[in-house]
Amino acid sequence: MLIFIILAPIFLLLLYFIVQPQPVSIPIKGRHVFITGGSSGIGLALAHKAVSEGARVSLLARSLSKLEEAKKSLHLAYGVDVGIFAADVRDYDAVKRAVVEAGPVDVLVVNQGIFVPQELKKQDLDEVKLMIDVNLVGSFNVVKAALPSMKGRKDSRPASIALMSSQAGQVGIYGYSAYSASKFGLRGLAEALQQELISDNIHISVIYPPDTETPGLEEERKIRPKMTDMIAGSGSVLKAEEVAKKTLDGIKSGRFSISFRLEGQMLAIAAAGASPQRSFLIAFFEVAFAGVSRIVTLLFLSNVYRSITKSHAN
Amino acid sequence: MVLFTLILAPLLLLLLFLIVRPKPIIIPIKNRHVFISGGSSGIGLALAQKAVSEGARVSLLARSLHKLEEAQKSIREAHGVDVAIFSADVRDNNAVERAVAESGPIDVLVVNQGIFVPGALENQASDVIKSVIDVNLTGSFNVIKAALPWMKNRKDGAPASIALMSSQAGQVGIYGYSAYSATKFGLRGLAEALQQELISDNIHVSVIYPPDTQTPGFEQERKIRPELAGIIMGSGGGALSAEEVAKKSLDGIKSGSFSIWFNLEGYMLGFSGAGFSPQTSFPVAFLEIAFAGLSRLAALFFVWSWYRIIQKKHAN
Repeated sequence: MLIFIILAPIFLLLLYFIVQPQPVSIPIKGRHVFITGGSSGIGLALAHKAVSEGARVSLLARSLSKLEEAKKSLHLAYGVDVGIFAADVRDYDAVKRAVVEAGPVDVLVVNQGIFVPQELKKQDLDEVKLMIDVNLVGSFNVVKAALPSMKGRKDSRPASIALMSSQAGQVGIYGYSAYSASKFGLRGLAEALQQELISDNIHISVIYPPDTETPGLEEERKIRPKMTDMIAGSGSVLKAEEVAKKTLDGIKSGRFSISFRLEGQMLAIAAAGASPQRSFLIAFFEVAFAGVSRIVTLLFLSNVYRSITKSHAN
Repeated sequence: MVLFTLILAPLLLLLLFLIVRPKPIIIPIKNRHVFISGGSSGIGLALAQKAVSEGARVSLLARSLHKLEEAQKSIREAHGVDVAIFSADVRDNNAVERAVAESGPIDVLVVNQGIFVPGALENQASDVIKSVIDVNLTGSFNVIKAALPWMKNRKDGAPASIALMSSQAGQVGIYGYSAYSATKFGLRGLAEALQQELISDNIHVSVIYPPDTQTPGFEQERKIRPELAGIIMGSGGGALSAEEVAKKSLDGIKSGSFSIWFNLEGYMLGFSGAGFSPQTSFPVAFLEIAFAGLSRLAALFFVWSWYRIIQKKHAN
């Protein structure tokens, strides 16, 4: 027992020295925040939060009418005008034009996403392609379009690229093969990108929200397979404002992985892999609880597969 | 303290033995149909050679008819057996469906096609990025979806397998591999969801995570690899031969392993990022738990060393 009491501080000290990249603080007041998928849901909630904290905000989305409504709601709430740009993220040239017109970006929030739950055996390949093209290829387009101005910025303060993943990007769930694939993909992009951009003082954050109350979730729930609901339906459903607040806080403290509530933290520890951890305190918890969290996930999986087998037998 | 561990460990092992799901399984390949996409060269071809040598009936899918014919010839020369060949681009789901239908019911599907074009994201053309994602990820969905009806209606009641070729770059994102890593991470999300959907059909999913492997593709890639990527990746083990990778892959497929890792780095990455990947073997589950903390610590060390390398290079 005594051994642990002595070891722990030494261990903490070790972690303090080895965690890379180093922690960083990213201000948003007076800076340019560019949000894709910003006309509704989490994106719009993020826009509200950023505007309320004094950022200059730009929104990119497909529908001009939804963008105008978003712009109006923000103007009504804060008396501030946000820039709006209508473009489909799958169209690299259109995204590039929008980003150039918006001006150099300090905080890029890559948040657009589509989710259509369905068992792969029943799902149309067009839907699969849509999810991968919008959620993953589209994210590459957005990042690539913004990179030159972000890398060439005169401002010496740290900048941020935040990618909206999902808890479905930490665990693949029945009915979400294409959605999970696209969201897992964002993590591979993020880990590689952070290595490429650390020297430019650009910091990557990956956000893993659970189900969030948005128009998107409303639609998705109507068509969700029963099995998916049984497995995924047991988690928390958060309000878009809560997700936005925690997201922005995480971005401002340069967190690589942003999770929500206790279950989200557990997921993050279980799925830590080789993702960077810039907080040595959190790194300590990741290492200390790694074993326990694997037991928990194995129990969860055991449950999941039992339910599936039982459901199939009926 | 030692007594504590001595009592806990067997208890934990017992608990794991009782709870791990899905249950372990054996997937025979002798006299069964193995369908390999990206089968005309590299790891795919090595897998074909191994499967043929173990008595499987093999079909190869790839783009180039010429390369397929060469592959067919080399297998005939080595084993006196003819494999079926099908030329199609995995991005064309109609062509893939035709090929699969022609090849007949499938017992083991190896989704192995992949392209990798290294380069920092700012230097990669957006259409190159799109093609990497289209071939490696969307293409894999096309292959699986085409094969599924032919796997579900297979005659024998024996367990079937869908094996997805990921990469160590699918366990950790690497400098210069943003698109490639994205697709290889994506395959894991697909696999975890798919296993839940297909367990009731007695179809078992495996994800294979090879390190650098000596293939024609690798040769090409090395010439254009960014210097930093080479230094960072060089910090892992050396490149494996395609035969080694093929053997370990096939062994993993036959034992229904969900995750097939290679070398110490692979296991460390696997244990530290076990996440929600199923583990059918309770002894391995025990090791995952016992070494999870140490693996995460080791991973943090690796991340530390990579960022040091990057910062040092940048300072010069």
